[in-house]
Amino acid sequence: MRQIILSIIALTLSISLVFSFIADANADERVKPIADPIAYTADEIRNLGLGISRRLRCPKSVNQNLLDSQAPIASELKAQIFLMLNQGHSEEYIVNFMVERYGEKIRYMPSLSSGTTLLWLAPLLLVLLAILSVFFFIRPKMISRAEHVEISQIDGTKS
Amino acid sequence: MIPELGLIFLIVSAITSILLGIITLAGSYKNNYYLLSYVKTLTGIMTFSLCASISCLLISFVIDDFTVAYVANNSNTQLALIYKVAAVWGGHEGSMLFWVVAMAIWGCIITFSTKYQDRAFINRFIAILSLVIAGFCLFMLFTSNPFARLLPNYPIEGRDLNPILQDIGLILHPPMLFLGYVGLTICFAGAISALLGEGLTKQKAAYLRPWVLAAWVFLTGGNAFGSWWAYNELGWGGWWFWDPVENASFIPWLVATALLHSVSMTHKRGQFGFTTIFLCILAFSLSLLGTFLVRSGVVQSVHAFASDPTRGVSILVLLIAYSGAALTLFAYKTSNLILKVDFAALSKESFLLLGNLVLVAAALSVLLGTCYPLIYEVVTGATISVGPPYFNSIFIPISVCVFILMGLTPLIKWQTASVTTLKTPAILAGASLLFAIVFTITSREEFSIWLLLGVFSVLWILSCILLSLWLFITNKDRSTSQELEAKDKRARTRFSAMCLAHLGVALSVFGATTVSNFEQEELLRMGPGNGKEVAGYTFVYEETQHIDRPSFTAIQAKIMVLDKHENLVTYIYPQRQTFKTNAMQMSAAGIHSSLFGDLYVSMGLALSETEYLIRISYKPFVNWLWIGALFMMFAGCLTIYNLRSVKEKKANDETPAIPSLLTREEVRS
Repeated sequence: MRQIILSIIALTLSISLVFSFIADANADERVKPIADPIAYTADEIRNLGLGISRRLRCPKSVNQNLLDSQAPIASELKAQIFLMLNQGHSEEYIVNFMVERYGEKIRYMPSLSSGTTLLWLAPLLLVLLAILSVFFFIRPKMISRAEHVEISQIDGTKS
Repeated sequence: MIPELGLIFLIVSAITSILLGIITLAGSYKNNYYLLSYVKTLTGIMTFSLCASISCLLISFVIDDFTVAYVANNSNTQLALIYKVAAVWGGHEGSMLFWVVAMAIWGCIITFSTKYQDRAFINRFIAILSLVIAGFCLFMLFTSNPFARLLPNYPIEGRDLNPILQDIGLILHPPMLFLGYVGLTICFAGAISALLGEGLTKQKAAYLRPWVLAAWVFLTGGNAFGSWWAYNELGWGGWWFWDPVENASFIPWLVATALLHSVSMTHKRGQFGFTTIFLCILAFSLSLLGTFLVRSGVVQSVHAFASDPTRGVSILVLLIAYSGAALTLFAYKTSNLILKVDFAALSKESFLLLGNLVLVAAALSVLLGTCYPLIYEVVTGATISVGPPYFNSIFIPISVCVFILMGLTPLIKWQTASVTTLKTPAILAGASLLFAIVFTITSREEFSIWLLLGVFSVLWILSCILLSLWLFITNKDRSTSQELEAKDKRARTRFSAMCLAHLGVALSVFGATTVSNFEQEELLRMGPGNGKEVAGYTFVYEETQHIDRPSFTAIQAKIMVLDKHENLVTYIYPQRQTFKTNAMQMSAAGIHSSLFGDLYVSMGLALSETEYLIRISYKPFVNWLWIGALFMMFAGCLTIYNLRSVKEKKANDETPAIPSLLTREEVRS
């Protein structure tokens, strides 16, 4: 049992290391100039624009996204997003453009880098730990069939 | 004069609570009945002086005594009386006082109740609780005294209560949340008291269970009401933003939900006593940690709460002292022990345990996400944001795990179940998944995994509830004797409460899924005469109006809403308010609410002389979120009522929660 746990921990650690290397290698080539403009329909522009401004943080007001923020800068950035969508830029390009200008903090969805590996992997590890610990704690003990029937008769319900 | 009286009462209660804690602990340790005879008297004095103290604060508010700094900062003469009363808990100092008073009253009721026959347990309980109260009182006296004076240069007029807080929401939401925290503190005191005694027996679990339920009902209400209030008042159209302040109350709720199931299992089966105790400690610690995050201002939040770094340190000291002591005691009492369980891997117990652990994992993940920007900044010096997209992408998968367990667990037998019982649920799961996939592909152009998970969860939970109801009704092998029939009736009520609560979860998930995936939205420039069609409704901007109210002036848009057949549905009036006392600007959305969906219009900046940035949304089934929460709260209350009617069990029923504790070596062999 212990060996299984140890090997799982080792595996996740090595995966996280590989991940962080890949993420860092990708980091340099994030911002690319536009190759060919994408022709969006009006509906697509609206949905994408609202979606992007919902995923970006207003640089001025405290913890609000661009869409909800009433600050003047938020309106400007929203206009900028719609302008760039009209020019045919991709969502990825627009987000990277904003990150270039206003820093990593504008992104509500933190990117995967060596610094955020823990953030992304910890929930997975915690759930794995929960499942493993249940199996670790439960040592099935043989119970006689008769005893079991009696108990489930009395406590036929979960409450 | 009155504020000084209040301060004296506060000092008296601090001293009394320290005395109560020390005397009672010493008395119960040495079995000294002379010392223990003072417990009720001291509890009475402590509770009375705390009530007197908060009454003094209330009087200061009512008579507009602006020499008191807290009153001057949170009230003024123009404020309506009901908001003056609500302002008692509207700021930091007053809310701490409210918290302590509620703790003392709740503890006092338990101490004076004749229902609890194990006096030794209750004595230890009140001792722990009074030590917590003492810590809070000292914290208030040293760092946030609600009675601090502004003499001799006191203001003639008070600053206003934060305009956002001038709403029915303030009167109801914070007290509910604080009562939830208070309930967790009560459970903490009970758990430590059990730990100091012989562990969490069935009898102690029976004591704890209504407290846990009450705390959970209050926390559910606090969260749901807070979300509803933000949706209606803050004017940014969201119902949950994963803001640190929201997370601070949501994390304890997750752990309290796990605790609720764990304590019911200890009560019924006498197992998992230590898990329950640990969850009590964890829930209390997380509520303190949440308070620390909110009050100290270390995290940035949209919900403005007066924050001050100096008091953050004090809360942190309290947190470390209480949680550290509790965890040390826990480790000492449980060291070198391993649980011997009498159930198989496939049983109701193991599924409940797994569900509880996954809930705790979810709570810790949310906590990590909330604190991560802080940790990241300390370690690397750079800043990042961790926001809704991140939380959704980790929380939704984890909660789907919880939902799967939630549907399955009521269908499985206690102790051991055969694999064949999983056959019907497996068919249900397959059917739900299939329907969810078909629905997701046909309803939207692009495939959305979140929609798929949401639809699957709702269908799965609903079908499992129906199946377990069916199995419960058709269950033939019931005993017919009188005594068991009464027990049966109570079990039936608790079973219905469980189904109701789970149904509430399904309704909330349904509301969240539909509003997140099928919301229709437009952001546009509008002036008088302009119109726009959203979700089959036509919105026509008729005119801009100027409004003058006692506390604010506002510009207001009059927007007519027509349905498909050009019939008038309603008029919606979104506003931009400017408060007279502090010139603060706020936008108040106009909402037309119905069971099937809300029409939501908010007014943004002026873009020209006559035109404004208008945001129009159609939010389908958004109200079901809060209806679901009401179901959960009702189910909680039903269970509390049901447990209340259960008479105390006989003394010979008192078997230890963990019948035998074996060392690791023994288990191995």
